[in-house]
Amino acid sequence: MRLSELALALALGAAPLAAQELTVVSWGGAYEAAQRRAVIAPFAEETGHDVTVARYDGTWSALDARGAAEGWDVIDMLADQARVACDKGLLLRLRPREMFSRDALADFTPRRPDRCAVPQNAYARVMAYDDRAFPGIKPTRIEDFFDTERFPGPRAVQRSPDGILEWALLAEGVPPEQVYGLLSTDRGLRLAFRRLDAIRDDILWWSDPSEPARMLAEERAVMAAGFNGRFFDEAQSGTPLDIVWDGRIIGTEVWAIAATTDTPAAARAFVAHAARPAAMARLAERIPYGPTRASAFARIGLNPDTGIPMRAHLPNAPQHGGRALIRDDAWYANTEALRARRFEAWLARGD
Amino acid sequence: MPTHTRDETDPPAPSPQLRMLVLIGVALVVGGAASLAAIALVDLVALLNDLLLVAPKARVQWESLPRLVAAATLLVPTLGGLLVGLAHRHLSPAGRPLGPPDVIQAVQFHRPLPDLRSGLVSTATAALSLGAGASVGQYGPMVYLGALFGGVAHRLRLGIPGLASIAVSCGVAAAISTAFNAPIAGVLFAHEVVLRHYATRAFAPVTVASVTGYVIANVVFERPALFRIDFPGVAHGYEFALVALLGVLVAGAAVGFMRLLLALGPRLARMIAVPALRPALAGLAVGLTALVLPDVLGIGTATLRFATIDGAFGLSELVVLIGAKVALTALCIAAGFSGGAFSPSLLIGSLVGVLFWTLLSGALGVPSSGAAIYAIAGMMGFASAVIGAPLTCILIVFELTRNYDVTIAAMVAVVFSNLVSHRVFGRSLFDEQLARRGIDFSQGRDHPHMAALRIVEHLTPETVTARAGEAPAEVDRRLAAQGWREAFVLDADDRLLGVYTPDPAAGAATVAERAQPVGLVFADSTDLAEAMARLRGFVGDAVPVVAQDGTYLGAVSEADVVAAWLDESARLREEENASV
Repeated sequence: MRLSELALALALGAAPLAAQELTVVSWGGAYEAAQRRAVIAPFAEETGHDVTVARYDGTWSALDARGAAEGWDVIDMLADQARVACDKGLLLRLRPREMFSRDALADFTPRRPDRCAVPQNAYARVMAYDDRAFPGIKPTRIEDFFDTERFPGPRAVQRSPDGILEWALLAEGVPPEQVYGLLSTDRGLRLAFRRLDAIRDDILWWSDPSEPARMLAEERAVMAAGFNGRFFDEAQSGTPLDIVWDGRIIGTEVWAIAATTDTPAAARAFVAHAARPAAMARLAERIPYGPTRASAFARIGLNPDTGIPMRAHLPNAPQHGGRALIRDDAWYANTEALRARRFEAWLARGD
Repeated sequence: MPTHTRDETDPPAPSPQLRMLVLIGVALVVGGAASLAAIALVDLVALLNDLLLVAPKARVQWESLPRLVAAATLLVPTLGGLLVGLAHRHLSPAGRPLGPPDVIQAVQFHRPLPDLRSGLVSTATAALSLGAGASVGQYGPMVYLGALFGGVAHRLRLGIPGLASIAVSCGVAAAISTAFNAPIAGVLFAHEVVLRHYATRAFAPVTVASVTGYVIANVVFERPALFRIDFPGVAHGYEFALVALLGVLVAGAAVGFMRLLLALGPRLARMIAVPALRPALAGLAVGLTALVLPDVLGIGTATLRFATIDGAFGLSELVVLIGAKVALTALCIAAGFSGGAFSPSLLIGSLVGVLFWTLLSGALGVPSSGAAIYAIAGMMGFASAVIGAPLTCILIVFELTRNYDVTIAAMVAVVFSNLVSHRVFGRSLFDEQLARRGIDFSQGRDHPHMAALRIVEHLTPETVTARAGEAPAEVDRRLAAQGWREAFVLDADDRLLGVYTPDPAAGAATVAERAQPVGLVFADSTDLAEAMARLRGFVGDAVPVVAQDGTYLGAVSEADVVAAWLDESARLREEENASV
């Protein structure tokens, strides 16, 4: 640890605070389990705070509805949801310059901490397939997700416009850097939904992120859109599934603090602790979500349980090749209502 | 001797090695600066597009407030146009946007570019025009901006003939190379459009500048290519014939577009007396159209992409969009928005290509390799007819797609388009704009150079004149002393009355009585090219030159005219074949 970070950690964490109750809110499943071991337990041990973990569905509206009543302090959020929540005044202003040294701020990649959120890991929305379903030629490109002639069978898709619209345009040959620009136009949305029409009858909807991997395992679906960590976890338990990295949509997960927190000092200490390179590397060793600080990459080694080298399974690992799209959080935050409206209209058209 | 002045006076010539170093040094500096400036211009335009709700990504975030978006759509191009008009009127000595024709003119005649202040105002108004969503292109302003950096070399006195022209071409090449990530196309554009010759002395530094631009754009800033496309290849052989047909069709569209553009300028000037209001009204027209057809706003990067997606546009939608884009681009440029015609040409051409493909595969059911190839072939066919740079356009496709099949298809479209447009219209929009300023490149670069030299600068001092009332014997004596056979007879106000030839057999009191009408007279505006043409069949000592009011200015001998012609030809040949 750098000296400056040590000083900050001391100032924030080892302040003369009595042990406090801290509620950290996360998503459950393999992800939460990894977080507990990599971040939450070491923090509790170091500071003596009593940390409880709550679960939610990841939306800012859940924070609005439950945050104050249930005493939420620190929340694990998607970057775009944090942006919306920040604009709605649901999050505490963090003043990153007081929390991190100049060097530490420069270490964050691809995004730096902003006024409400500190990036903690990079995940990817990827496509995975059941190897048993395709004994011959396997899917290799995002176009294959929409090709029910060469790759017939049900596809597991989240019941939301997230991710699938981007894939629809990538499958039309739109280069990643133009995807969000085109999706901002009426014509772009129409084309994306036209592409989606082609697989409408083969879609199996999911809403819980753990479902797509299970659908593949239970052979209910032959292909699935989901998060790379979940698929990795399922593959570890023996399911013959493989991830197609082409068209991966890399998103950022952040830590934020509820505006209604009653222990802001302890909450800040937690966020600062979780944003250390060592904590990020520990998390990436347990679940393949990449660190958001450049210096953390060098620390990532083997999974402590299975002995698998984890760096190759991170969404931002360089050897994946293919197309990668960086999720545009600002665009997501700005277009939430529009996307939801168009998606519902599209769903209704099919019924 | 040719007496026309060149701005580049020639100090003692440095050694070839030193000249090479200077040329390469100038190329590196100008290329680097032009490339950085081009990147800055693109970024500034993107920023303005975001702030002014022109970019789709900016518009969509206010999607819940449709009135705000509509108000911005109407007001931004209108007020932008007003500001552009006011800036040209009050800040720019040239009073108009500057572009590639000004660069061509400066380079060809070794003159300085229009003043720096006009150039900077023109660049600023280009950023504003593009930022506010006017239907104009960014490459014209980029080329001019690149040329501005090269133009600084005009002040250097390094003893290299034509250095300023080469430096300006370096700036142009670097700008194109940066804009398209296409260094080979940058080199070709500078030669094909600006220099119009391929001397090593120019080719080497222009290439260095172009590569410098490419390195800065790609290696230092890692800018994405302007237009990326995955193209599987041409599936059927007969599609090359279809692409040739498409070339002919887009040529027709391009000629229509250019004629409309050139015709609108004078018409607008008559209709709207206040110059600053013209771009404002053109902006309003853009805004009104964009309310129902947002694709017409700005450079149209998103629309260009849609054109490569099968079935992104319906047939009627395409026809309306092509018509609207042609009309609005012609209107915007003619009204005085600052910007080029190249990027709108790319868009219009690709839409025409898609229309062609839609009719072909949709209505006629001809199997084809998809919309993309027709979009690209149409795009380049149209654009090459407008800028008169077939090789550049072919190379741009090659460097952007790195795909051999699509390049060959585009090449076929480009040559057929140029074949038609050159015959029907002229080599390019630039050349037509220059022709309207009296600089005609249609017969190659010799003619305008000859036409730029005034015959009045080659007057022979020894000619003999006579007053109307003089006695023939006196004039005969002067003629014999000078060795001439003719004297020009002038009245008291120095007006030319006729020509007097001595004839001992005839008797007369004054030369005026014996003066014959003059067969061939040059005006003070007669240029070398015209003089040379009219000298055909001339017999005599010299041709008198008179001012508009008939005043005799002097005379030029046939030998002097021929010598001036040979000198200028030699200078041009030397420039075109210079090594270092």
